[in-house]
Order: sequence, then structure tokens, then C-alpha cells
Amino acid sequence: MSRALVAIRGVSQRFGAGPSGVAALDSISLEIPDAQFVAVVGPSGCGKSTLLSLVAGLRLPSSGTVLCDGEPITAPMPRKVGMIFQEANLLPWLSAVDNVAFPLKLRRVAKAERLAAARRMLELTGLAGFEDRLPHQLSGGMKQRVAIARGLVQNPAVLLMDEPFASLDEQTRMVLGDELLRIWSETRKTVLFVTHSLNEAVYLADRVVVLSARPGRVVDDVLVDLPRPRNFAMAASERFGALKDRIWQHIKSAERA
Amino acid sequence: MTWPERHLRLAQAILYLGILAAWEILPRAGLVPRLFVPPLSEALGALVADHREYLGSLPTTFGEIFVSYVIVCGGGILAGQLVGSSATAQRMLLPVLRSAYAVPLVVLYPVMMVWFGLGSQSKIAFASIYAFIPTMLTAVAGVGALSPALAETARAFGATRAQQILYVALPASLPSIVAALRLGGALVIVGVIVAQMLGAAEGLGFLITRHRTLLNSPGVYAGIVLVLLITGLHEILLRGLERKVAAYRQGA
Repeated sequence: MSRALVAIRGVSQRFGAGPSGVAALDSISLEIPDAQFVAVVGPSGCGKSTLLSLVAGLRLPSSGTVLCDGEPITAPMPRKVGMIFQEANLLPWLSAVDNVAFPLKLRRVAKAERLAAARRMLELTGLAGFEDRLPHQLSGGMKQRVAIARGLVQNPAVLLMDEPFASLDEQTRMVLGDELLRIWSETRKTVLFVTHSLNEAVYLADRVVVLSARPGRVVDDVLVDLPRPRNFAMAASERFGALKDRIWQHIKSAERA
Repeated sequence: MTWPERHLRLAQAILYLGILAAWEILPRAGLVPRLFVPPLSEALGALVADHREYLGSLPTTFGEIFVSYVIVCGGGILAGQLVGSSATAQRMLLPVLRSAYAVPLVVLYPVMMVWFGLGSQSKIAFASIYAFIPTMLTAVAGVGALSPALAETARAFGATRAQQILYVALPASLPSIVAALRLGGALVIVGVIVAQMLGAAEGLGFLITRHRTLLNSPGVYAGIVLVLLITGLHEILLRGLERKVAAYRQGA
């Protein structure tokens, strides 16, 4: 294993002070090496999304540190970390290509350069020819492809995905999952992928981190030893079922608690 | 399919023509007393015959509309943005503003005339107060429409506070700003004309009242035609602007 690109060390997160405060995360420690695809699963409300927003630099942990490439994360670092949300969250008044170029615009990259980069990313995510469409002229799956292109446009080392396919229908979700694996194999990003779906977690990831119910703790860290490239048939394999079952045992007991 | 849209436009054109034709035909046929509604051609005839007088009333009228427009739309939209961006201010002020909106402000006009005199100031004061609250309420509604998710997305991609306002908050509230301009402008025009009709020494509303006092109905309607032209022009301009920002309204 190479060095940890993302290191989460003893991170706890509380919301609100005093006895009425809520503990969301409790001493989470994770070392994520470069180019690893990590899925984070856990029962509802276990703080999965909170963990992601800490790595995104959108909030600071109550205690502990989050490092990216050895540097503490105290604010968003868009050049190192790209973020993809559950909803595409595209600016409705910008075309697809302008949405993808938006992070570069914030950094005042020259227009021709940022549009060229955005076009390359739309091509990578399979949206060549849709550059000038406005978000409302795109399907849900296409919007999420635009969001992925936007997350990738600055060529960050880390891609954070917060249930990116949760609001899509089953078929679109499967197609986009395969697309994501193709893009990942071409770009070799470190991916931190939060999901509700155990199938999605095992199918996509190298490693599945399982969190407990609130306050979230790491209760299991499962290495997914299925070969790559993954395909649909593997989802029916015995090994796939065994991995899923192991994760499900944790979630089931947590949800009952 | 462009046919339904074309049918729609044709039907609208026929409707407009029908109204104008009725305006001409009904008084001539004696179905409407000419004293109350003279035929359209007579009103237009009066407008052409006395065009100097009518055109002469426009600088005062436009001047009053312009100043009120700036006060209402500048102040109302700014106040709306300020109130809209604070939850506490909204909870405290919105109920008060809504009840103030229910007061028929035209009853205050005699007071304003005594206060500000017969000249432009009382017209501007009345039109501004009359249009301010609805304009502000429209602007407040737009600020609330900004989704926190978009703001957080911009932040995740490194937007500074200034960039969030410039690239996200402002464009997102543009449709409501244009809607506030459209409403505020229409109310300002009405406010100025009504104030001129109730007490003034010049202006389009004053001309309408004077011709009415002289029972010169074509003269009254010549003024009304001009008012319609002004509000219609304003409506067309603002609707064009609304179409331009229509993309901003679409959900992401």
C-alpha cells in the first residue's frame, strides 16, 4: 500500500453544545491510500455525509484532524478535492459546459482554457454534444454526469461522492456505476463514496468502511477482493453475497438498536 | 409543434382587435352612451387635435414616474434583499408589512397634498409609498428562493463570500428582481396618474380630470389612451426582460 492520501485521525463531531448537543461522529480514524475506491456505508443518520463534508473542508471537526496529502484540511481545497452531491446542484442559468467550468472560473482561469478543460471532462463523462444544454434540458442521469465532470475538472486527487446516485432510478444508477468505474480506471482518483446501497458499495469499491449508528464509529473495514474490471455477473457470485452479508449484519444490528 | 402557439397568438390578436372594434362600434350603435365611452376614433381624433397639450403633459408625468420608480425599485428591492436575507427580520417585519399593504393608501393622498403641495413632490411621495411595500414583498420572496444546496456547492468549489453573492445569490434572485421591477413600475405609473387626477396643476392625470370636468369625453379618453400606451410599453419591456432571465427560474 502506498502512503495515505487522505488521513482521518481521531475525528469526532458534535452538533450543538451541552447536554442537548448531538454526537455525530466518534473518534473516526481512516487512512486512505492513493487511487483507492472507498465506499462508506452505515445506518441512516450515522454521520456518513458529515464525514464527507469534513474531508471537503465544508466544516471543521470538533476534535481530531483530517489531512489531505499531508496538509490539514481547514477550508475547501477545490484543487485537491472534488465534490459530487446527491443532487447535481447545477447552476440552472449556466449551460452544461459553463457549469463544469465554474470551479475554474472561481479561480479566474482564462475563459478559453477553462471551456476547453470543461469540454474534455464532458467528453470523458459521455456528454459530448450536450455542452450547450441548460440543466433543465438534461435528464437526471445526465445532470449527475455534468456534476461528475465538474468534480473532475480541476483534476483533483480526491473525489468525494455523497450518495451521488441516490435520486436516480435503478437502471440509470447501474449505468452510471459502470461509467464511474470506467472514469475511475482512466483517471485513478482516490474516491470516497457514501452510499445507502450495499450492492453499490460492494460492486464499486476496493474497500467498504462500515459505520455504526449515531454517533458513527468504524465497526468494520472490509476489503473487497473481487477482480476488476467488475461486471454485472459478479453481483450474483458467492463472494459478492458473502461480502454483502458481512456488511449487512452490522447494519441490521445497528438499525435495530 | 408550432401550430398550437400560432393558433394562440392568432386568437389573442383577434381578441385585441375585437375589443378595439367594440370600443368603436358600441358607442356608434348607441349601445353605450357616448358621454361615457366615445368611439375610439373620436378619442384618437382628440389626441391628434390637442397633441401639443398632451405631449406637453408628458415631461412632468414621466419625471414623476421616473423619480418614484427609482425610489420604489431601488429602495424596495434593496430593502427586500436585506429583509429576505435575515430570518429574524422576516419574522418581525413581514406581518407588519402585510397588514400595512392592506391599508388603502389612496386615503392618505389629501394629507400628502397638504404636506408636500400641489406639485411633483406629493405625486412622488404618494406613488412611492403606494408601490413600495408590494415591490419589497416580491423581492423578499425571491431571496428565500435561493437554495442552500447551491450555496454549499459553490463553497465546496472554493467560492469566496463575494463570489457566492456575485455568481450564485444574485443570479438566483434575478427573476424576482425583474418581477419586483415589473410590479413596482406598474404600480408607480398608476400611483402618479391617480395622484395627478386627485389634485395637480399639470400632468396627464390632471388633463384627464380637467376634460372630465368639462364633460369632454373624447379628451378624457385621449388621455386614457396615452396612459394605456405608457403601461403597455412598460409591460412589454419588462416582459422581454423576464423572458431573458427565464432560464434562471428553471429548477436545476
